[in-house]
Amino acid sequence: MRIPVHSLAAAALFAAAGAIPTLKAADGAQPYAWMIPDWLPPPAVPADNPMSEAKVLLGRHLFYDKRLSRDGSMACATCHEQHRAFTDARRVGVAFDGTHGKRNPMGLANVGYLPVLTWANPNLKLLERQALVPMFGDNPVEMGMAGMERQLFERLRADPLYPPMFAAAFPAENGEITLGTLTRALAAFQRTLISANSPYDRFKYGRDPKALSAAAKRGEDLFFSHRLECYHCHSGFNFTDNIRHARSTFTEVGFHNNGLYNLNGKGLYPPGGDGLSEFTGNVEDTGRFRTPSLRNVAVTAPYMHDGSMDTLDEVLDHYSVGGRTIRSGPHQGNGRKSPFRDPLVVGARLSPKERADLKAFLDSLTDADFLSNPRFSNPWTSGANAAPSDRHQKFPVEAKP
Amino acid sequence: MSRITSMTFASGLCLLALPALAQTQAVTLNFAGEFAGKPFACTGKAEGIGTTKATVTPTDFRLYVSNVALVRADGTAVPVTLQQDGKWQYRDVALLDFETGAGNCMNGTGETRTVVTGTVPAGQYKGLNLTVGVPFDLNHNDPTLAPSPLNLTSMFWTWQGGYKFIKIDMATGNAPVMPAKADGHSAPMGGDKPVAAGFSVHLGSTACQSPSRTSAPSTCANSNRIDLTFDSFDVTKNVVVFDPAPVLAAVNVEKNTPDTSPGCMAFPKDPECNTVMPKLGLSYGEHKAEAQAFARVR
Repeated sequence: MRIPVHSLAAAALFAAAGAIPTLKAADGAQPYAWMIPDWLPPPAVPADNPMSEAKVLLGRHLFYDKRLSRDGSMACATCHEQHRAFTDARRVGVAFDGTHGKRNPMGLANVGYLPVLTWANPNLKLLERQALVPMFGDNPVEMGMAGMERQLFERLRADPLYPPMFAAAFPAENGEITLGTLTRALAAFQRTLISANSPYDRFKYGRDPKALSAAAKRGEDLFFSHRLECYHCHSGFNFTDNIRHARSTFTEVGFHNNGLYNLNGKGLYPPGGDGLSEFTGNVEDTGRFRTPSLRNVAVTAPYMHDGSMDTLDEVLDHYSVGGRTIRSGPHQGNGRKSPFRDPLVVGARLSPKERADLKAFLDSLTDADFLSNPRFSNPWTSGANAAPSDRHQKFPVEAKP
Repeated sequence: MSRITSMTFASGLCLLALPALAQTQAVTLNFAGEFAGKPFACTGKAEGIGTTKATVTPTDFRLYVSNVALVRADGTAVPVTLQQDGKWQYRDVALLDFETGAGNCMNGTGETRTVVTGTVPAGQYKGLNLTVGVPFDLNHNDPTLAPSPLNLTSMFWTWQGGYKFIKIDMATGNAPVMPAKADGHSAPMGGDKPVAAGFSVHLGSTACQSPSRTSAPSTCANSNRIDLTFDSFDVTKNVVVFDPAPVLAAVNVEKNTPDTSPGCMAFPKDPECNTVMPKLGLSYGEHKAEAQAFARVR
């Protein structure tokens, strides 16, 4: 075939392809005043999303705004309830339409210190990106907004509260309501969710010897002992081997197989919950999940990536034998014998007194201030967003399988 | 003095640029979305799909193409420079969109797109090459700031990072389809099941890894881009037809293995992908790639 030459003008239609855009950093931005103790370094903040009071306030309103879901029934806060350290007491996430997800909703205490954010995805590293998953994901569906971004922006613009808040938070973007500004405000708010005033913090970092009970102090010794080895994974001020902050020179990331499952004796995990191997394709990464922080762990049940343990006692049972044995059913297997189990899940029998001490230590990680801090609470005082979610009645915590 | 210098510079540019402009010509490539041999429509059903010859209700059909090139008689592939329209095409990637956002296509956009437009050097061409997928260098940037058409939330492949290269959705059996709504506030709730039970073919890169813990992926073990080569293609007469029905020929679309994605979403270890991925021309675990059955020239 022969394509006729039309004219010289054709080329004029084509604008030069632009570079990938980035949000401009706010000019002359004031340093953000983190309300955290002196001993604690602030979270690392991406260069294109500097902190500001206005942005955090906007993010807090968005976090509690049910208009971020398809039918207006759920906000971020629906699955991340402050009094549960921003978890929701369900085994797995429940979507706006009642369908169930695959993972236990993670707590958000100190989420700004995590270099990788979810249970198993090594590529989700920024809160700005992670916010897209619950809003727009379709496998599983959560808030159900895929394809509805235009309506979402219209909903927010229609509320007289928002345009001035976006303008104050994003002056360099002229207050535009876009995916870029929306996700950055949500991320900025989440970076302020810092828990650092538990009894343990006051004891350890605040040098208040009376802040911890004698039992909790004994539990601390056990936790950090070579007999139990808890601290190898649950290390540092955030009790996880995943850490990055404003002063860190290295980023530490840890994914571990803790012997929860061993299907067919081959170390397999139940379908849909493979862990890190879903992303790396390496079979030896089967069952490896990112170590969760233990801060406020007493109020974040159920536990594990699939919410398959209801109580801390169950968790301690599991670690005391170095892997869970499931005797019947489709998940049958001895996790201790998994070829992929982390060798530091050693198993260590606990006397009743030791168990009580360990639990007293874990309880001392509960930060009552964090669970009730008004700066993290629902800012909406009227309208649908002020009303508590009715989803707990609608979708009861399901019975154990 | 400076004026003279700049004029000299400008004329020098013209000398370089003019011959290139004179040999450039516009080209429009035509595409069609079909479902079992009939034009894809957001109304009505498609019959005879999969091993059970199921009747399905198509609800979405969009895909990205890139690396579009016309092929000379001597086999040289000449890239088509895509028109940068600020909407359907960005750099070397273009969105094709066969859904109307109405009827059964609940999460769609009102506009459709069945062409790719651009320029090529004047010349004789006999074939067409293109890739179904978003090029790697555009696939892992920040989607919240991406230009159109890489800013559509329904095409985000957020969990894996990147974009869905293909998004084909259908309701199966008698499952209700969620009605299209301008504003989802009034979507059915509670006892209703608002989301259609169905079968999806979502294709994107999987098993992506980063060189460091803080950087974007540098490689994906399964890039899942489909390279299409049509030896005989006349842009003035031919159309590239995409039809998922042949891709679904060996799978039961009315069934889904528990604990896997509905349909085939390219995730490893999903039995519904065992025949779908090979028929897209892609290997999938131990299942070897076959000749792709998704696209043909008419």
